[in-house]
Amino acid sequence: MNSQWLSIKIALGFLVGVIAHPLVADELQRCAMDDAGQELCLAAPAQRIATLSPGATELTFAAGAGDQVVAGVNHSDYPPTALKLPLVGNHTRIDVEALLALKPDLVVTWVTGNPPAQMELLEELGLPMFAIEPRTFEGVSSAIERLSTLAGTETAGFAEAERFRAGMAEISEQYRHAKPISVFYQVWETPLMTINNEHLIGKVLQLCGGVNVFADMPRLVPRISPEVVLEADPEVILTGSVEGASDQQLDHWKKYPRMSAVAKNNLFFVPSSPISRPTPRLLEASRDICQKLDIARAR
Amino acid sequence: MSTLHTRDLIINVPNRADGFALNMSIESGQVWGVLGPNGAGKTTLLHTLAGLLPARSGQVILNDSALTDLKRRDIARQLGLVFQERQDSFPATVLETAMIGRHPWLSPWESEKNEDLQRAQQALAAMDVDHLSDRLLSTLSGGERQRVAIATLMTQNPDIWLLDEPTNHLDLHHQVKVMSLLKDQAALNKTVFMCLHDLNLAARWCSHVLLLYTNGDACWGPANAMLKPSALEQLYNQKLITVEVDGAPVFVPVCSSSSS
Amino acid sequence: MIRSLLALSVIALLAVALALAIGSVTISPSELWAVIQDQGSVLHQTLVWDLRLPRTLAAFATGGLLAVAGALMQVLLRNPLADPYVLGLSGGAAVGALLAMLGGMGALIISGSAFAGAMLATLLVFGLAHGTGSWTASRLLLTGVVVAAGWGAVITLMLALTPSYKLPGMLYWLMGDVSYARTPWPALVVLALAVVVIMPLARNLNVLARGSMQAAALGVSVRPLEWTIYLLASLLTATAVTTAGSIGFVGLIVPHMLRLVLGNDQRIILPASALAGGTLLVLADTLARTVIAPEQLPVGVITALLGVPTFLYLLHRSR
Repeated sequence: MNSQWLSIKIALGFLVGVIAHPLVADELQRCAMDDAGQELCLAAPAQRIATLSPGATELTFAAGAGDQVVAGVNHSDYPPTALKLPLVGNHTRIDVEALLALKPDLVVTWVTGNPPAQMELLEELGLPMFAIEPRTFEGVSSAIERLSTLAGTETAGFAEAERFRAGMAEISEQYRHAKPISVFYQVWETPLMTINNEHLIGKVLQLCGGVNVFADMPRLVPRISPEVVLEADPEVILTGSVEGASDQQLDHWKKYPRMSAVAKNNLFFVPSSPISRPTPRLLEASRDICQKLDIARAR
Repeated sequence: MSTLHTRDLIINVPNRADGFALNMSIESGQVWGVLGPNGAGKTTLLHTLAGLLPARSGQVILNDSALTDLKRRDIARQLGLVFQERQDSFPATVLETAMIGRHPWLSPWESEKNEDLQRAQQALAAMDVDHLSDRLLSTLSGGERQRVAIATLMTQNPDIWLLDEPTNHLDLHHQVKVMSLLKDQAALNKTVFMCLHDLNLAARWCSHVLLLYTNGDACWGPANAMLKPSALEQLYNQKLITVEVDGAPVFVPVCSSSSS
Repeated sequence: MIRSLLALSVIALLAVALALAIGSVTISPSELWAVIQDQGSVLHQTLVWDLRLPRTLAAFATGGLLAVAGALMQVLLRNPLADPYVLGLSGGAAVGALLAMLGGMGALIISGSAFAGAMLATLLVFGLAHGTGSWTASRLLLTGVVVAAGWGAVITLMLALTPSYKLPGMLYWLMGDVSYARTPWPALVVLALAVVVIMPLARNLNVLARGSMQAAALGVSVRPLEWTIYLLASLLTATAVTTAGSIGFVGLIVPHMLRLVLGNDQRIILPASALAGGTLLVLADTLARTVIAPEQLPVGVITALLGVPTFLYLLHRSR
């Protein structure tokens, strides 16, 4: 009786295995659409990921695949463990030999920032390429989710994406009825550069109830003259502070004491790389900016 | 043996009315000297005879063919020119410069042969510049470069020799040497036609003379007929005293006012 | 003559072998030999056949093209310190390439656009210099310099208006970068054909170098020869710039230095320039991709750093 039972179990197990195998095999093939519109399918989770921009490195780590990253580029400095990664050049010029020597099975690239000629070469050499460039907050979450799918770290990745989504939604809710306040975000001092609302920074400002005085400029990162800023007379001036350097980039506005922002001393610094990269650190950066805008509103 | 004829030739001097039509026969064995003040058109005439400049009207006939009907290469085998102004800025050695004289005789794929090299070396020796064979042309003095230019023409060895002020920059010794060489070449049935600014050289060495006036007038003929003081004074707008030395006239320019 | 060309060929082969062995991943001579025999690890095979060989051949072809073009320009303009870019050709190519980059085009269109720009620049200078009747070397030079400045102004404008993220790519192209070269074959073919075409004309060039009047007096058809050289030099330069951007100094230095060592006979200088220019750029590119690896320098930086002191030395010697 027992041996009969046993053989039936074995037979059933075998049947289940035979039927289920194709389904399981399909599950092992991982597909995702990248931000350039190409679909990439991997037969197995990527174990050796090369990230060719600092943002790509951060997003891949956020997707929970940090242990699977084998190569970064200059300035791949977050999270701190990424500093130990072997470097394959600069995002504008890759050392293709060094990259090949690391035998990557997935290369995460930046749609507009990596050199097209070298990206074409890598594709021709048969490397799986995945281009990302989030332009919206949802894009950030989506990028994390897609990367975690390709890396087989869905649990961690989807959780992180959800944390980010929820966090941004919370901020959005919190500041939905905040009093609008005009803001100028200074990207660079000389030449004087700012961003329009197509840019993620612009979207953060919007989220916090800030009105970017250059919201509708035609170019993403326009170069402007101080005159138009004086004319717009924003109530707040924000800029990114670089770690290790002293914060003098807004000193030149103090020449115009009658500017609203200067008069009320609404000149604020926020850490530069969290606000400039399309990564989950935007959550902390957004909270920071929203708080600063609140301070400004109080003055 | 080659001959140059001009048929009603009027040279093209820019901004000048038509000059006198030239109908000359420049024949082998003759040494022609062209005399005239600056701006008379001596260089223009020489370049026109060589086919490098178009005439305003009329023709230049080389043996039996009009110059305009001949190919440049065929012309170069019969006619050679020493220029007054040369471009020496691109580096070349003295020997390399002389060797280009063989260019009209070689086809594109041919390389220079030993006999070509020997011709060039002999020419350089005749001009006393063979010891400078490997020097860059730009490091030579004006006189040495002039002699190299003449050596190049010798290497080319055409039947007709055209020279534009060949004695420029040369010291007295080499002036005589060059003029003597040209006379010897004429004796070997070459045709020599040169522009001279020193009328005494013409008086001593030329068999025929062409006088070119600033306004375009011209007259030509055997030297003794042409070298009349009155004509020369008018040509150069300069008073001259004529002296005879060694059977040939020597013309000395004098000031019009004399001190007493 | 043959001996010096043979020596240069051997040096060229050695340089190529060196370039195949050196890189971010070192390949020992025995490993290289294994790869050549179709053995060796997959990584080494990929590195040598797919990366280093095309890049090295492209560098060789580009260097050869620029050096021959430089030698031709120096004769055409009767100026031993002329270079292939003096007539504004690289400016036109740059404008073409940068426009394509602004439009986000792929490598093939960028190359095509660069070539079109180069040929447009050639015709423009040619047409302007031709102007009213006769054109002389100095007229050509002056026209070229002015047109080059014009292109420079357009390039500066484009750089000022381009979005920041496109700038590094454009700057690398302007500095000259062999990693742009996707395939070496067009450049190699053009170089080989050009050398074959120019050799029968080489002695004429010796004569032309003494002056156009002198050359005419010696039976050279000056005007057709000058046109031919101008168009040929332009084609060579356009191909070089299309392949790897505007790499400086090779076209200026290589023919000049060869003349100091080998004499002034263009029949030796032209093929020697092809070999020596190619060798120089292969070595410079090897340096560019290894000296601060994994950071990659554009090869134009190396040629400029080597070229400026060399140029000053040549200037000093020519006094």
